[in-house]
Amino acid sequence: MTLSVALLLPWVTGAVVAALDGRRRAVGWFAVAVLTATLALLAVLTAQVLTGGSRDVLTGRWPAGVGIVLHADVLGVTFAALSVLVLLAATAHEVLAGVRERVFPGLVLLLAGGLTGLFLTGDVFNFYVFFELAMTASYALTTYGGGPRQLRAAMVFAAVNLLGSFIFLISVAGTYRVTGVLAMHQVAERMPGVDPNAAILVATGFFIAFSVKLGLFPFHFWLPTVYAGARPAVAAILSGAVANIGAYGLLRFGPGMFPGQLRLAATALVVLGAVSLVYGAVLAVARGDVAESLAYSAIGQVGYVLVALGVGGPVGLTAAVLYSIVNALNKTLLFLAVEIRGVLVAGAFAVGALSVAGVPPAAGFVGKLEMFRAGIVVGSASLVVLLVVGSALSLVYMFQIYQGRFWRADPSAEGPASMLSLRLLTAAVALLVLATGLWPEPLLSVSGRAAEALTVGAPG
Amino acid sequence: MILGFALTAAVLFGCGAYLLLKRDLVRVVAGIMLISQCAMVTIIGSSLSRGRAAIGVQPADHVSDPLPQALALTALVIGLATVALLLALVHRVVTVFRTTERDELAAGEAQHEAELEPQRRADRAETVDEPEEQPPGTARVGASTGEEAP
Repeated sequence: MTLSVALLLPWVTGAVVAALDGRRRAVGWFAVAVLTATLALLAVLTAQVLTGGSRDVLTGRWPAGVGIVLHADVLGVTFAALSVLVLLAATAHEVLAGVRERVFPGLVLLLAGGLTGLFLTGDVFNFYVFFELAMTASYALTTYGGGPRQLRAAMVFAAVNLLGSFIFLISVAGTYRVTGVLAMHQVAERMPGVDPNAAILVATGFFIAFSVKLGLFPFHFWLPTVYAGARPAVAAILSGAVANIGAYGLLRFGPGMFPGQLRLAATALVVLGAVSLVYGAVLAVARGDVAESLAYSAIGQVGYVLVALGVGGPVGLTAAVLYSIVNALNKTLLFLAVEIRGVLVAGAFAVGALSVAGVPPAAGFVGKLEMFRAGIVVGSASLVVLLVVGSALSLVYMFQIYQGRFWRADPSAEGPASMLSLRLLTAAVALLVLATGLWPEPLLSVSGRAAEALTVGAPG
Repeated sequence: MILGFALTAAVLFGCGAYLLLKRDLVRVVAGIMLISQCAMVTIIGSSLSRGRAAIGVQPADHVSDPLPQALALTALVIGLATVALLLALVHRVVTVFRTTERDELAAGEAQHEAELEPQRRADRAETVDEPEEQPPGTARVGASTGEEAP
């Protein structure tokens, strides 16, 4: 019940709000209220799933095996709640600053509907449908602002990601061909009996589709243009909420449905993740532009997730889940703080910077700690050294940005302080990052449970 | 038959990928449309089965698998929506940039790059100036970290 309502609420209201003039304050705040309600519903659902185990809903009262299954497990509800939280923060930020285009609130709600559905579905093709709903909303969102840079970003984003989407669709067709089913748990059951060549081909298709979405190293080329070109609130949404699709997809389809193929490709994944990590960090140091540095930093940060996925096992998967969550929060905070000025902002940005670098009071420390644990569990010294190098580089570029942004007496960087409410919102997100770092127990246990659901229970 | 479908899908994907790499934005959209058609052909071809349509079936009838047809229909609708969105986007690009060539769009990026240059020069100037104010021991460190941002 909670599941269906959490899914339908943003979807239906999004369709209605899209027709209204979003520049009016009331419409903007209505969208914020709907997102808050969705987040509350997802929190209730998370509590239910954590205490009572995962839930399934058969849509349309079809008999089992015919209807599409909605499936809420710990991994799904965690990512859904995280994404809606990020959307809520970014929307509140934009409504406070003044919405410039009429479709913005409606698009955010539709994106929330798409993302919630995608994280809570148990069917591969249904995943594609929600995936396209979310992606179409985000293509339109990227044009927000309407300037030449935004349009260019949207064009690049849409062209590259549509190619990724169709590769995903072709892989779905391949999955149906080799297994004859589309429900995730049935695919997982039948996958071991499939011809290994066909299976690895299908798995590679899924991997490419999600890597494009996530901006991993060989598929990252679109990401800097888009993140730097989009408006800060939209960049926060893209890096904090839409990029979760890639991380979730890799986790759900990798260990959840193609564990054999994942083991086969583990070394390749670790190497790709390592290259992504170093490449992103080095280019982030070299770029002068704040938004572009953050974009390259995003490429580097998802490298950690891929390394953790390649390491695998309970420890590696926990690290991957935890790092995805922490990274989404960091990037949201940094992109939101990047364009506002005044008291509190520098502090909020510093918290985000410390978190990306993995310095203790912030949430990033917990993520890095889990990564190091994963590195030590596999007993690879080079992996640990790589993680140290990555962290050191991220410290360099984050404080290079901080220095250029808040210490230089550059007249162009000065300006009237932003609204107090905007600054308070950013400070609230920073406090959330700090609180997660100071009291990491809930996040750790949720990540552990999510990883457990992937490895032990029937996935999907 | 399945080989025919596979070949068609491969040709469609190849043509689509070729068009996607073109400079003209309308051709890019056409490339994406071809690739979406390739996905459609793949779905149909991935589950060909003989039999009558699955409408009003008797228990003894041979029916063809209705699921891929449902998938293809859904995917067609989604493909239509995305192509409409892309065309609208190209239309906006044309009205703003007065061009459909990708090179002209890239010119905007080059301009952005040029705007970054004074900032970087200021960074470099700062790290070069600093040694005069600092004791000689730390001067080299400041200069070397400054070199990392060329």
